[in-house]
Amino acid sequence: MSADYAHLCSSILEQCFGKVVQSVADCLFSATTRTLSQIVNSTHFSRKEVMLALAVLIKFRLVNFEPSKNNPFLPEYSLRREDVICLLRYSRYIHLVQTKYGNVGASIAEELLNAGSETATGLLLKCLSDGENKAESAETYRDTFIKMIADHYIIKIPELMTDNESEDAVPRFQTNECDFFVPPNIDLHLLAQIRKGEATLSKALDGAIVWSLNYDRFHQEFRDDIMRLAMERKLGENAAECFSFILNLIYNTTDPWQRKASNQITFVEIKQAIERKSNNLELMKFLDQYICLITDDSLGFLRKVGDMGGGQYLVDMEKAFESLALACVESVITERFGSKAARIFRVIRFKKYIEQEDLQKEAMIPAKEAKSLAYNLFQEQFIHVKVIKKPGGGGSGPAKAFYLFQIKEKDTVRMLLDNCFKSLYNTIRRSNYEKSEHKGLIEKSQRLDSIVETMKERGESDEYIAEIVETFTPPECEILKKVKHRIKTLSKAEMTLDDTIFLLQMYQHHCTTLPTGIQKFK
Amino acid sequence: MAAEIAQLLLAVIQGIPGGATNDDLTKALSDMSAASRVEGLNVLLKQGSIEVLKKGEKLIYRAKDPQKKSALPKDADNEEKIVYSIVEEGGNKGIWIRDIRMKSNLNMTQLNKILKNLETKKLIKAVKSVNASKKKVYMLYNMEADRSVTGGAWYQDQDFEVEFVDVLNQQCLRFLQMKREGAEKKRDGPLAFKQMSCCTVKEVHKFISDLGISKVNLDEDDLETILKTVVYDGSAERILQSDGTYVYRAVNLPLPAPGLVQMPCGICPVIKNCSNCGDVTAINCQYMNDWLE
Repeated sequence: MSADYAHLCSSILEQCFGKVVQSVADCLFSATTRTLSQIVNSTHFSRKEVMLALAVLIKFRLVNFEPSKNNPFLPEYSLRREDVICLLRYSRYIHLVQTKYGNVGASIAEELLNAGSETATGLLLKCLSDGENKAESAETYRDTFIKMIADHYIIKIPELMTDNESEDAVPRFQTNECDFFVPPNIDLHLLAQIRKGEATLSKALDGAIVWSLNYDRFHQEFRDDIMRLAMERKLGENAAECFSFILNLIYNTTDPWQRKASNQITFVEIKQAIERKSNNLELMKFLDQYICLITDDSLGFLRKVGDMGGGQYLVDMEKAFESLALACVESVITERFGSKAARIFRVIRFKKYIEQEDLQKEAMIPAKEAKSLAYNLFQEQFIHVKVIKKPGGGGSGPAKAFYLFQIKEKDTVRMLLDNCFKSLYNTIRRSNYEKSEHKGLIEKSQRLDSIVETMKERGESDEYIAEIVETFTPPECEILKKVKHRIKTLSKAEMTLDDTIFLLQMYQHHCTTLPTGIQKFK
Repeated sequence: MAAEIAQLLLAVIQGIPGGATNDDLTKALSDMSAASRVEGLNVLLKQGSIEVLKKGEKLIYRAKDPQKKSALPKDADNEEKIVYSIVEEGGNKGIWIRDIRMKSNLNMTQLNKILKNLETKKLIKAVKSVNASKKKVYMLYNMEADRSVTGGAWYQDQDFEVEFVDVLNQQCLRFLQMKREGAEKKRDGPLAFKQMSCCTVKEVHKFISDLGISKVNLDEDDLETILKTVVYDGSAERILQSDGTYVYRAVNLPLPAPGLVQMPCGICPVIKNCSNCGDVTAINCQYMNDWLE
């Protein structure tokens, strides 16, 4: 966790939950665990405010708590730092659900995201009263909800243990792996009663079972999308389709977040799956060729490991994300230092270790330019230097040393990721600045809009309305337009930046042993 | 008299390709006195028709190639001859002035004079090496300098020709892409498409020669280096064939431009200095202002 990420988290939390939560989270960010009184002391907020902030964070699954080791009656809180950035991905989550389950699914996801976590009955109640999809019945909502659980997009949060309350002062959770995606029993009758006001929510039987969105499942979908798109760009649509079938097959037997490589599947299995589900004739006709093509490709997504069942294959996640992350690094270099620098980077990548002189010869770049580009890359930490010293020299003259350029992928990716965090922080900061700078103007226009709205409802004359609208002068209009455009550009940049962040995080998950945000149902 | 002896000696020495020792000479010409033999050998040495080599403790006389010696005019003095032969040994790689001095044991001023002399007579020439611009190497006048000295086709008077390389790079890429497009039109399955979009170095060589953009004669090795740069640009792939040669094919990048470089921070040269305070902040950033305008 870098300082850049700390800044980013802080500003995201401020945007979503306000100042108090922000400072509580800041305090937790800098430590492994903190107790309540420690947080109160260091944030200077009242105990009540801090407690409320913690409750919000816990509800949004951003804070864990555990009894202290020394004192079982004292809870210690810790921040789930990796999950904070997921708050920015909400629109992507909703978009995904929208394409898979339509508007009903989208409104369920939206309510669930807004609430952080919610009981099934409470959630459906909210969706139904929201009224955007009045035409849909409670049954549709329930069925979609259950379907989403079955597809693992929604997950049950561990239940509180209630049996031995005498022992534990700090509540404990019951984690049961097979219990995460068991569909709930939703009493539609009671739901209808509550809506009519004949019963209260507290009567619902599922009050202890709380649901929330399963980020990992969404991330799996995003990751597969990245791979599929790369395949499509490189080898065409048919290969991409073939590869997505392979991925789906893999998930039958493999944990999607297995780090290095998947379990094996055979050619026959792939063929059967495609014959059953696809109606792409060309793909079926040339299936063996496509598989061969994907296996031979330099991206290294698929690897052949045996001959059983017409050929055994596995998806090599490590190699795949290494190729993709490096492609990303290369395009960053191209944009930042020019294509010649990218060439130098690739030469070093292919040669592993290379001396300055050989570098310029191999890249066919004049010595001076090559030197300056390589040193620039070195200065910005895209490439590294390995020094091999020849022992001896015995005082007469300097000891001989070789300076070899090399790439330390993990360091480079990490550096780039920090850059992304910083950039993202900058966009948020700039966007906040634009908003506060023109706060008066934005508020005025909003006020005006609502006035005009009510006037139209009251049926006032058009002339009068036009007169009111004119109080917003043309120069003001101009500025407002500009500011809106800026904020829009910034928020668009936030989205695209997150794509890069996600890709690099996937690299970290699959190619390193670092702890990552993927938690596997914790 | 001496000339006759010399002729006899030369005939014997030429008869033994590895060089004749003193013993060989006494055996072959047993009626010749030692004094006249020495006299004859000296004549030959002066003419430059033989050379003296040392093998262990023994001296060996070897006949020199008559064609080689003809380059040096008769009036050259001993020092010039020695320097000339040292330069000759250097072959097409050339020899550095310091090495000449070490080998010849001449002092600097004298050596400089001799070298200048030989240069004006167009017997040797000085070539600037591309590896070290200040290092001059000498070689025989009619010698074609080695690639390691001149840098091959890519150097004009030890200047690297960037434009030439760039143009070739673009043309090679164009050829690969044309080939790929041609293959795309035919629909014979993916594997056939892949094979058809591959090009051997020979094909590229023919294409470039037919284009006639190069005044210099480029061989296939030259084009291989160019093709490698296309690969290093990420626009092509190099595929090893079963017979050990490589083929090349144009490919697309697997990723679209990453989000990071679509905003100024991704390409900002001072991102390291950017923070909440100080001169570089997100609020007063000029790059950001330009972008948002």
